[in-house]
Amino acid sequence: MPKILLVEDNEMNRDMLSRRLIRRGFEVVIATDGEQGVALAQAGGYDLVLMDMSLPGIDGWEATRQLRAQPATRTVPIIALTAHAMAGDRARALAAGCNDYDTKPVELDRLLGKIAALIGGTP
Amino acid sequence: MSDMNPVAHLRHDLRTPVNHIVGYAEMLIEDLELPAHAERKAALERTIGAARDALQAISVVLAPTREAVLPEELAGLYATLAEPQRRVVEAVGGLLALSGEPPTPTFTEDLQKILAAAERLVPRDHATAAPQPAAAPAVGEARARLLVVDDEPGNRDLLKRRLEREGYVVVTADGGHAALEVVAREAVDLVLLDMLMPDLDGLAVLERLKADPATRDLPVLMISALDDLTAIARCIEVGAADYLPKPFDPVILRARLSACLQQKRWHDQERDQLRALGYVTAAAGAVETGSYRPGSLDEVAARSDAIGRLARVMDRMAVQVGEREARLRERLADLRSEVGVARQSIETAQGDSGLTYRSGERLGTRFEILAVLGRGGMGTVYRARDLELDEEVAIKTVRPELVADETMRERFKDEIRLARRISHRHVVRTHDFGETGGVWYLTMEYVEGITVRELLDTRGRLGVPAVLALGTQLAEALAVAHEVGVIHRDIKPQNLLLDADGVLKVMDFGVARLAERSLGLTEAGLVVGTPSYMSPEQITAEPVDERTDLYSAGAVLYECLTGRPPIEAASMVTLVARVLADEPAPPSSLVPEVPAALDDLVLQLLAKRPEDRVPGAAALAERLRALG
Repeated sequence: MPKILLVEDNEMNRDMLSRRLIRRGFEVVIATDGEQGVALAQAGGYDLVLMDMSLPGIDGWEATRQLRAQPATRTVPIIALTAHAMAGDRARALAAGCNDYDTKPVELDRLLGKIAALIGGTP
Repeated sequence: MSDMNPVAHLRHDLRTPVNHIVGYAEMLIEDLELPAHAERKAALERTIGAARDALQAISVVLAPTREAVLPEELAGLYATLAEPQRRVVEAVGGLLALSGEPPTPTFTEDLQKILAAAERLVPRDHATAAPQPAAAPAVGEARARLLVVDDEPGNRDLLKRRLEREGYVVVTADGGHAALEVVAREAVDLVLLDMLMPDLDGLAVLERLKADPATRDLPVLMISALDDLTAIARCIEVGAADYLPKPFDPVILRARLSACLQQKRWHDQERDQLRALGYVTAAAGAVETGSYRPGSLDEVAARSDAIGRLARVMDRMAVQVGEREARLRERLADLRSEVGVARQSIETAQGDSGLTYRSGERLGTRFEILAVLGRGGMGTVYRARDLELDEEVAIKTVRPELVADETMRERFKDEIRLARRISHRHVVRTHDFGETGGVWYLTMEYVEGITVRELLDTRGRLGVPAVLALGTQLAEALAVAHEVGVIHRDIKPQNLLLDADGVLKVMDFGVARLAERSLGLTEAGLVVGTPSYMSPEQITAEPVDERTDLYSAGAVLYECLTGRPPIEAASMVTLVARVLADEPAPPSSLVPEVPAALDDLVLQLLAKRPEDRVPGAAALAERLRALG
């Protein structure tokens, strides 16, 4: 069962997205801010990280940079979730080290497609 | 997000709740079972449809290409969004108001989340244009009445107005005493109670509400500033449903109110169902005692739920039972006329037979002997007056050798205790076992009537309808006794009394067993009864169960139909041998009018092997009734 780390501070987003991913057969671990996300990711064992970019404290951009700087998390696929679709966001996310990015509100099927592309097929 | 342009920001703020609405609704649909939840699915699909319309409107006005939006455009968007918002609230409100078990444990909770998301679709200050949400703030059919209790006028007014906007009817009280007065005076569905009040604080009011049975079930939401958590905990211990922190968050307020009222609805519903069920149970009792009036369940029967169905079935059954009883009464009328004739001849035939006690004598201080009713293996039976209770009883004195020592007396008491468990209109009720002046005696219900033995001796055989009536009553009595684990072991015409109305009463439950145990079986054949009515297994002293009574009942019915016991012989030894070996002749071979089905039934009761007999007394009663 693919294991996803979801880093998201908004409770309702977190609740809904995690439940919907669990229904699709993923194991989901939750972090509610950037620091927790980085700590959990470094413990290892994740197939993918879903990173909200606008987090309190260490934001998603910074958390991603920290993950990419550590050997343990250098290669884990990260999908950035950004709140708005601006032309520069995609480039910026990729530059920060993300493998892909998606805009919020999340459309589940679109996100599942992106997850599948990164970790090889839906579970 | 500082680098986000204002339009993108706004778009995000509005699309997020829409997405929540769609996401939760989709999840809920996934969990539904169809077609049982078709109604819920349709409502959730309406919810999603409304959310998609909202998304469309957002995309048009707040297109990604735009960097700024005019205030009037924004007001227009909110006005547009009010429509899908109303549809979401309406659909979800309808779902919340549905009765019955939610399809999943989080169903109601998730619906509340959809409502909360819908609320964020239109900011409060733009919401005035939106129609009243139809979020079902209702208990039952009427709108819910809330009592707001707060001593601070500002708070009171604010909460009142907010709740009224939610569609509730609000009454207020400015203190604890005033609150109790309102609750005593008028019906409210829920109380919002401030903790800190000068005259009587929230906790004291709560305690009084919970102590009074009339208001115990009224849900109470405590209003409190977050810092007095100990007090909140205390309130919840005392029975508050929940608490609302100040200042109010509209989403939390709505969710908690809605949850409380939902709970109250369930509670009310449950109480209503219990009450209705109580009527049905009472009616069942009335059917048993024969006092049921058809139609007395009409009010409950009009319900559309399962209890209504139960009441309708119950009423129909009671009417059928009534019709059956009427048929039985017709047969009894037949029997009664035979009893009448038999009685007169008995009365003239009964001579005086040396009394142990004579009329007018006392048995101890409590009983005055009125007459001798008969003599049996156990001792003499008297009619007597219980001077203490001033009623007539039957007293059976017990032969001294049957109660010679404490062990025997204890056994006697055990059997009496067992027999007293049977309470039925076809069983002679056993009262007490006692001793006076060295004489042991049993007291029981006095039945003015004659035994079937006397009836048969006087009249010869009985007509088929009378036998069916007698047999049905005997079977009913046995069914009740067997159900509580009492076997009679000595069913014979001498132990069956018929009162003046032709109602059968079975005597001596529990007594035959004692005589049998005390005296040994060889003698028991002579003392307890005649082997004509004893089952083969009882004659051979094998272990017996309730099926021995069925054999004896068969023998009694056989004799009632034909005027002769099923097996006869010149001597006791031959009789015993023949009971074990010989098949009785079918009753119809002696009395041609006996119908074939009754013939078969009686012969089946007389089967040598218990397992070949009718499977139980209740089944026997059923089959006899069916022959009527």
